[in-house]
Formats: sequence, C-alpha cells, structure tokens
Amino acid sequence: MTQRISKYQRFKMMNPVIQFFKFIYLSIKIMLIVAGGHGGTRKVN
Amino acid sequence: MAKIVILGAGISGHVAATHLRRKLSKEHEVVVVSPNSNYQWIPSNIWVGIGRMKSEKILFPLAPLYKKKNIEFKQSKAISFFPEGDKNENKPYVLSEYVLGDNKGQQEKITYDYLINATGPKLNFEATEGLIPGENKAYSVCTYTHADHAWEGLKALIEEMKAGKKAKILIGTGHAKSTCQGAAFEYILNVEQELCRHNVRDMAEVTWIANEHKLGDFGMDGMLLSYGGMTMKSSEMVEMIFEDRDIKWIIGAGVNKIEDGLAHYETLEGDYKTESYDFAMLIPAFSGHGFKAYDKNENDITEKLFKGFMLVDADYTPKPYEEWSVKDWPETYQNPTYKNIFAPGIAFAPPHAISKPRKSRNGTDISPAPPRTGMPSGITAKLVADNIIDTIKNGKESLHHKGSMGNMGAACIASAGYGLTKGSGVSITTFPIVPDYEKYPKTQGRQLGKTFGEIGLAGHWLKLALHYAFIYKAKMRPFWWLIPE
Ligand SMILES: Cc1cc2nc3c(=O)[nH]c(=O)nc-3n(C[C@H](O)[C@H](O)[C@H](O)COP(=O)(O)OP(=O)(O)OC[C@H]3O[C@@H](n4cnc5c(N)ncnc54)[C@H](O)[C@@H]3O)c2cc1C
Repeated sequence: MTQRISKYQRFKMMNPVIQFFKFIYLSIKIMLIVAGGHGGTRKVN
Repeated sequence: MAKIVILGAGISGHVAATHLRRKLSKEHEVVVVSPNSNYQWIPSNIWVGIGRMKSEKILFPLAPLYKKKNIEFKQSKAISFFPEGDKNENKPYVLSEYVLGDNKGQQEKITYDYLINATGPKLNFEATEGLIPGENKAYSVCTYTHADHAWEGLKALIEEMKAGKKAKILIGTGHAKSTCQGAAFEYILNVEQELCRHNVRDMAEVTWIANEHKLGDFGMDGMLLSYGGMTMKSSEMVEMIFEDRDIKWIIGAGVNKIEDGLAHYETLEGDYKTESYDFAMLIPAFSGHGFKAYDKNENDITEKLFKGFMLVDADYTPKPYEEWSVKDWPETYQNPTYKNIFAPGIAFAPPHAISKPRKSRNGTDISPAPPRTGMPSGITAKLVADNIIDTIKNGKESLHHKGSMGNMGAACIASAGYGLTKGSGVSITTFPIVPDYEKYPKTQGRQLGKTFGEIGLAGHWLKLALHYAFIYKAKMRPFWWLIPE
C-alpha cells in the first residue's frame, strides 16, 4: 500500500466544518455548470 | 387532442411524462408503458449493494402517482413498432404485451400521435458466457434486485473473512465493450470502505478489472481536470485513489467468460488470462432491446428505426476516431424517418464511442461503449417533451429545444464510501460531456474550470442530497419542477 493522500489532506477531506463549506461551494458550482444551459453544436443556415 | 405514449419509466421516461403532464392541458393524453411497476433511483443502488440502504428507499410504485396526476400507466412491455399503422389500424402504434395480472401475456396495439422511446439499455448479461447475476459468485448492482443479491453475497463473504478466510474481490466491467465504469468505480470504493468498517480489510485483496486502456477513462476518453488548484488527468486521480486504498488494477481487459469464481479475459496485448475471485461485481454489456419495426404492409423496416438502439438525428457515417466531431452527436433525439418518434436517455443509438476504439492484437474490440448518465438522460428527455409540447401548441413542428452531449455539462458524484461523518465522494463535473477537440484543443476537448474533481466528505453529502432531491422530484411533490434535471 502506498500512502498517496497525506494525513493533512485527509484531515481536510474529512473535517465536517471544512467540508460543510465545500458542500455549499460544490453545490453552487455544480448548479452553475449544469443549469448553465445546453444547446446544439451544428449551425443552422 | 394529442396522445403521447412514453415507453419506459426510468429516469428519462419519467422526466418526459411528468413534464408533459404538467405543461399540457387535460384534453391531451399522456400514457406510460413500462414492465416495472416501480420507479427506481438507480444511482443509489451502490448503497443497496453494500447493505447501507434498503432497496425500498430507492423506489416507489408508479401506479398511484400516475393515477393521481392523470397519467395513464400500462404495466406492459413494448415488443414491436408500427410507425405507419397496419392494414387494419390507420394510426401508428406500438405492439405491447402485459406482464402482470389478469391481462398477463395479452397483447395490445397502443396508438399514438407522438412516441417517446425511453426504454434505456438491455442489460446484456448473455453477451458474456457465465455472467448471470447471483451465479458463479458474480453479481450486478444495475437494478435494485441485483443490488440486494450483491449485498447478500458480500455479507456472507464478510462473515467468512471474520472467521479467518482470505478473500479476493473483483469489481469492474464484465464485457470487452461494457460501459458504466463509473458505477463499478463507486462500488469498488464503497466495498473497500465497508471491509474497513467490518475490520476485515487486511483479509481481502481488492482488484479493479476494466476494458479501459487507462484508469479513469470512464468511457469518456479520460479527462483533464482541475483538482485542488492543479490540473490533473483523471487517470492520475484514480491511480492516486486506488493506490491510497490498496486497490490493484487490471486494465485493457475484455472479460469473455465467467466460471465459478473465475473470470477469463483477453488483454489489449492479446494475452488470454484468468483471475480468480470469491466475490465479483461486473457490469454487463448494454445493448438495444432487439425491437422490430414494420410498415403499413407489414414489411420489416427495423433498419429505419434501430441500429441496436434507436436511430435519431445523429451523423452515423462511419469514420475514424481522428475525424469524430461533436457535431456527430444528436441535438433533438428525433427519428429521421418518423418525425413523431423520439429517443432520449440511453435509448438512442450513439453515432460512435467517445473513448478511442482499441483492438487487441487478436483483433478483439476492447474499449468502453459511450456512457449516458442520469443527468443527460433527464435533460434530453425534458427537451424532447418541450419540443412535443411546442409542436402541439403551435400546430406545426417545433424543434427549438436542443441539447447535444457535445454542448452540455454533467456532474457525476461518485460515492467513495457511505456514512454521515465517515463517508466520502469523488465529485467530478465535465463540460462538455463529449469532448470538443476543436473548441478546447489544448485541454483534451473540455473547458478546464468547468471540468473539475474534488474528493471528500462533502461529495457524500452531495450524493445523499441528490438522492433525496431526485426522489422528491420524481414523486412530483410541491414545486418538483424547480429542481433541475
Ligand atoms: C449501478 C448504477 C449506478 C449509476 N450511478 C449513476 C450516478 O451516480 N449518476 C448518474 O448520473 N448516472 C448513474 N447511472 C446511470 C443512470 O442510471 C442512467 O443514465 C439512467 O438510468 C438512464 O436512464 P434511462 O431512462 O435512459 O434508462 P433506464 O433508467 O434504464 O430506464 C429504462 C426504462 O425502460 C423500461 N423498459 C425496458 N424495456 C422496456 C420495454 N420493452 N417496453 C417498455 N419499457 C421498457 C425499464 O423498465 C425502465 O423503466 C448509474 C447506472 C447504474 C447501473
């Protein structure tokens, strides 16, 4: 087993307070990307 | 008055039915035809398969909801398509067969003005010899019943490990052309965490097996994503997670035969190998349902409607990978021959794969088929419904709403372990889903800021929040339509 995620990184990943703000941030970011719209790729003459 | 028939009540069929009903007045008929009496929120099957969520939590019966909302529900399955009617029936129809109750086995011609084929994939277990859910120690999590069986199998093995047995667990794709690597990825991480929770992690060797040529391909040609202020390849991200959790991997592997505790596979290098296991979860190949279509004189016209899945407004001209373009992908999901037939979600035939096709040295195709996840399934279903609504209201064809997977973002919140404080999730978004190498030539076809990855507890909360939000939406509770697809 190779430890690829350091103890500090893991602390940040699992800390409920930090992750609460991350949750809000991710929810908004995902909403913006996904609800940001969609459309075609071909131009219609 | 128009009659809209929707085949399938999965993510796309249900989204289409609910939007049509909300926006069309009562004089128009909305009919749903589906063999399963329940709606199921498939993404949460992962948690059913590790025993952390009961299957009842991810499903609800459709008939009472549809009755209340004035949507007609027929618990039957479509068999064949008659888009011109026949000698006795002038209207186009679908021949269907009831699957339950007094009518079981009875066939019915269901006529329509507009048809939405949202039948998703056939889980083609038969394409891999011996891959039968619940047999040969191999399981699936593709439906809630499969996921229940998978948990029974895993639970029994955990008990044996507690008693001192060393075990091998194999999770990934069960066919050289499987798709849905994301679901298998979620499952392997959840299983690994559960082994830790039950204090048997050191008794198990956990291995990923997949038809991807690189880790993190996910059938999407991999991704270059923003991660923690850096730019990282999805292959590096998955490698980091697997190494950190001591998960081994076999890639470029086309599983072709399953025997009791043995998975036989061919590699891209052309070698034939076998991996033994005590528990496996392997995603089967997905295929079309093998529907037939006939014209008015009952001549076979299947090739006008289907190429495995249903033909839509994609460019199906065969071309090499280097010439693939986002413009090949459909925008309106309308059948080119019969303009009143549409196929959103997984039911439409993709123009080609997204990942580069690869063959083994023996000439066997070993590479992922293109995935179509829940979000594009919902978005495409809604735009099909909106185009039909506009067409009915305007009295002439309107295809104003468009949504190509080459101009659409998607979020994939992959669970990496369950638990309010111990859970984890890998949140990945991509824009666009199908890489646009013309627009974003330097970033592997995708826009960097909008294509990002995050790992942590927040990902688990997000996936749980989506579970409750989408079930709320599917149940058509107050203001359900405000929740986006
Ligand atoms: C284990 C698993 C986990 C997943 N996790 C995620 C995730 O986290 N995020 C995500 O975005 N996507 C996820 N997906 C993908 C997502 O579930 C699919 O994209 C989505 O279900 C596709 O919707 P659909 O309506 O096209 O097909 P389906 O959901 O498969 O629905 C098809 C419907 O058609 C019906 N049907 C079948 N045959 C007939 C017939 N002959 N006549 C009439 N009706 C018929 C079926 O009963 C069903 O109701 C996951 C998939 C799996 C298998």
